[in-house]
Amino acid sequence: MSSHPGFRHPPLLAAEELRRRLTPAVSAAERDAADVAEEFPAAEVAVLDDYGLARHYVPAEYGGLLRDYESAAALMRGVAGHDLTVAIAHGKTYLGSVCTWVAGTAEQAHRVAALVSAGVPVSWGLTEREHGSDLVAGELTATADGNTFRLDGEKYLINNATRGGLATVLARTAPEGGPRGFDVFLVERSRLAEGTYTPLPKVATIGIRGADISGFTLRAAQVDTTDRIGAPGTGLETVLRALQLTRTLCSALSLGAGDHGLAEAVAFAGERELYGRRLAALPAAARTLTDCYADHLLNEALATVAARAIHTMTGELAALSVAVKYLVPVRTEALLARLRRLLGARAWLRDVRGGVIAQGTGRFQKIERDHRIVSLFDGNTVVNLNSLVSQFATLARGHRAVREPPPGLAVAADLAAPLPAVNYGALRLVPTRGIGLLHNLAPASAQLAELAGADPLLGPVAAAVRRLTERTETLLAEIGTQPIVPPDVPPYAFALARRLAAAVAAAAAVALWLGSHRYFVDGTDEPGSAAPLWRHGRWLLAVLDRVLGQESTVEDEVLDETHAVLGTVLAGQVAAGAMPSLLSLGSVA
Amino acid sequence: MTAPTLETLLGDPYDETNPTGHAAVLAADDAGEPLAAGEAVLDGWSVNAEYVPVALGGRLADVPTLIRRLRPVFRRDAGLGLGHGLTTLMAALNVWTAGTPEQCRRVAGLLLAGERISVAYHELAHGNDLARNALRAEPTSAGFLLHGTKQVINNAGRARAAVIFARTADPAAPPGGRDHSLLLLDDLDAVAGLTRLPRLRTSGLAGCRLAGLGFDGAAVPAGALVGEPGTGGSTALRSFQVSRCVTAGVGTALLEAALFGVYRFAAGRILYGRPVTALPHARYLLAGAFADLHIAQAFTHAAARSLHLCPAAAGRYAAAAKFLVPRLVEDALGDLAVVLGARSYLRTGPYAFVGKHLRDIAGLSIGHAGGVSCQLALLPDLPGLVLDEPAAPELFGTSPLPPLDFTALRMRASRPDPLLAALAPALDAVGGELAAGVRVELAELRAAAGALPVAERGVTAGHRSLALTERYAWLLATSACLNSPHAGDPLWTDAVLERIGLRSGRLGEPRTTTAAEAAFAVLTDRAERGRSFDLDPEPVVRTR
Repeated sequence: MSSHPGFRHPPLLAAEELRRRLTPAVSAAERDAADVAEEFPAAEVAVLDDYGLARHYVPAEYGGLLRDYESAAALMRGVAGHDLTVAIAHGKTYLGSVCTWVAGTAEQAHRVAALVSAGVPVSWGLTEREHGSDLVAGELTATADGNTFRLDGEKYLINNATRGGLATVLARTAPEGGPRGFDVFLVERSRLAEGTYTPLPKVATIGIRGADISGFTLRAAQVDTTDRIGAPGTGLETVLRALQLTRTLCSALSLGAGDHGLAEAVAFAGERELYGRRLAALPAAARTLTDCYADHLLNEALATVAARAIHTMTGELAALSVAVKYLVPVRTEALLARLRRLLGARAWLRDVRGGVIAQGTGRFQKIERDHRIVSLFDGNTVVNLNSLVSQFATLARGHRAVREPPPGLAVAADLAAPLPAVNYGALRLVPTRGIGLLHNLAPASAQLAELAGADPLLGPVAAAVRRLTERTETLLAEIGTQPIVPPDVPPYAFALARRLAAAVAAAAAVALWLGSHRYFVDGTDEPGSAAPLWRHGRWLLAVLDRVLGQESTVEDEVLDETHAVLGTVLAGQVAAGAMPSLLSLGSVA
Repeated sequence: MTAPTLETLLGDPYDETNPTGHAAVLAADDAGEPLAAGEAVLDGWSVNAEYVPVALGGRLADVPTLIRRLRPVFRRDAGLGLGHGLTTLMAALNVWTAGTPEQCRRVAGLLLAGERISVAYHELAHGNDLARNALRAEPTSAGFLLHGTKQVINNAGRARAAVIFARTADPAAPPGGRDHSLLLLDDLDAVAGLTRLPRLRTSGLAGCRLAGLGFDGAAVPAGALVGEPGTGGSTALRSFQVSRCVTAGVGTALLEAALFGVYRFAAGRILYGRPVTALPHARYLLAGAFADLHIAQAFTHAAARSLHLCPAAAGRYAAAAKFLVPRLVEDALGDLAVVLGARSYLRTGPYAFVGKHLRDIAGLSIGHAGGVSCQLALLPDLPGLVLDEPAAPELFGTSPLPPLDFTALRMRASRPDPLLAALAPALDAVGGELAAGVRVELAELRAAAGALPVAERGVTAGHRSLALTERYAWLLATSACLNSPHAGDPLWTDAVLERIGLRSGRLGEPRTTTAAEAAFAVLTDRAERGRSFDLDPEPVVRTR
């Protein structure tokens, strides 16, 4: 077997490098004490500021380092894999500034870019105490007064609300509200009169205890007309378009949590003696680990393709982003729960890790606690599924005819292909031509069948893709027949939306393998290298089997061989201190 | 005059001034300390007497009654219920199972005096692997010298007494089945060479003060031995049968309380211009959790009654319930948290207890025999099950039960399986497509279990073999539901069968909501009338 290092994926290398920088910042005991005391993770945020992470939140055209979203997301994953509280505390600034990148003027963008690059935390004031995700019911008002607006009201459960120097605020500008009755404003605290912006007390949360989760009250806060982002009445639309970006990128937080949880579980299983054997050597336990790894790889494939699709399939993001935001956090929650059961009491004790008893070493409980926020913020599970359901009719129409997959798909799936700059103006509220990844299934199925002709070991993968394609066609036909009158969505439609999200994830995996396997298959076999996962479509087979569930076509024997390969690679990656990833080539320096 | 129930004594959990209400529970949880006011209520009510058999002067008549009486505590705080006393029960069960009459009297005396007893099995290096527990009891002419450490032991820092699982066999000898014994230390403060180790903090169940006991040549008298030397494992596995049923049973109370809380939230929360309860999906999630609760309770009810009525098979039901029920409760709590949204992530406010319950059920699931050890207890039995004789209807009803006969519990359950045997007749009685699906599943499980190679029946079993125990547990739960008196209501039966199909992964989501809507109507009615959502409802004190 070839031993040259082969393809190295720059975003992942950068993420691993950033994670290593964070490692010595604080001890486990300090981290635990800060978590208990609900202290902001200032030391590690300072490391990130030194690194200049915030500049990666700023598009290059405004002087920042954000050229591609895949790289930005990978950095956030690296931080999240170290500590999710830190990632959420720092990364929120991106969420706070994104409305400006999407709909602001160049002048506004330069202004926000300067603040973000200078390390000013930014918050995003969307939700309110009594209305949660029902943004149209928002009561914070903006009243026009000559060249200014007067803002009054409260935003609640807002990250960075107390520490932040800039808030991007959704406000009701028409008393009757409605879809055109809101605007987004830049509220820069240093420009406000004393006493008009009052942070609310920190909210006690189960996890991310150190993060600045609070809110603010505005009383006669005066902003300028030039602080309004976009044309009058476009606030909700701007927010919905911005959410397409943030929901796609939130997956990085889940990937980091999955990286961390898998590393803890693999280390435990490797040293734990049970019934006279190492836990990792007990077949059922080993399978639990590789099932979780397969789910993590599915998440990674979907998140990676979706982050690249921001650049190349921008108009489809309305569907892709909610599929990602629903599926990746929920599957990560489930895999963390499985790992928790494997770890037993270790998953629950705060001061025990392996055979060591020392304050704060029991990290797993914090990973799971911290991660639960990800499925709740920035559009929770119900919101995301609801959004998919609301697109059913249009999606069904888009799939009534066979279409060529959009040209951007090949670029999204080819990890070595350079990404074009994002055209934010191409963000659409509904994809009218269906979902390219699903249009791609039929040709992908044909392509795999052809490849299987040359490599018989690809036969099971080709069969699984064929099954996925058939199932997805049935599903797309079924969603078109759903009688839906929002908000009275029948529960069964939610089930269909979950299946649709799973189909999109599986289709992303298919596209990614086809588009990028050539970079990996000749890679090194050293421990931790992902190359063996790519050969003969092994990781793809494992994730398709997970998605297809009872309808899987994969034979037990083939599947067991596949999982054996996954187990070896996973153990090697964790031992090497690398991320459990499709994209790692091992040998982390 | 009848004694007040714990429900009355603990009072309205939604009253913010109530020292045993949700707000007070959350404050204590936040501080990482047991709820003192709750412990005082339990002491005042002499909850320990519930753990002492009637014949020994206590109030323990039967296990289902015990579960029912403890439910009010677990609705509010699993940490309180487990930390204050349930582990004392787990310790005492070993003595009820294998102790001499004198030991039983002494332990009964301790409990009735309000003392706590720690149950010390767990060692950090061995977890559920009892056979490899290393703490050593070295025999001497006067008794034993103890060497070693137990960790993650509830109340180890403050208990008066403890039951210790110790290796009494020669450490150099190869492992056998009779290497361990149980020792009753009835006054820990008097044991020289014993150190109470510092508390180990946990994420959740703050009411449990978990700590360690370190022994360095501590001398204990020969009379400390519970049962014959070498019977520690057997006694443990038999007393586990009772404690597994109790843990599973009280765990359902977390779901009951959360279901009310989330219903209350949803009825009062306006989204898109209407209460959340007007959204079909929210109603469906609530109704689904309601069905989950009833499945869990039907199963634990039958398992708990089997301890009295078919003790030879009860070990399997206890293990299956302990494995399945906390996980079902966790899944249901997860669904409820979805309805609650961001409020499920807060540590304050009237619904913060739901997030706490979701976190605590995981601890209840881990503590005292985790899921896989229960599955491994079931696996070797599956190939040889005999389904000749269905359980009598009494297993599912509420008729008075004979006293618990600890000597009738078996370390290894007998082959006849009355609960599973009762499934096929019940399916015939129910009829319909859902029942037909279960019948196919039963046949497939029987076939797969029959073909299970010997190598796949132990700890090295693969995931496919282990999955059979899960399917078996779901079939037991199905039998418990279909044989319950509630099965007379076809809508209830459809609701639980749909739900079991979904939760077990056998069926997809139902396309119609008829059963769920009917369940939601019952749920609303119960909430309005101040009745609990339990399978056997009771009056509950809570602000609607």
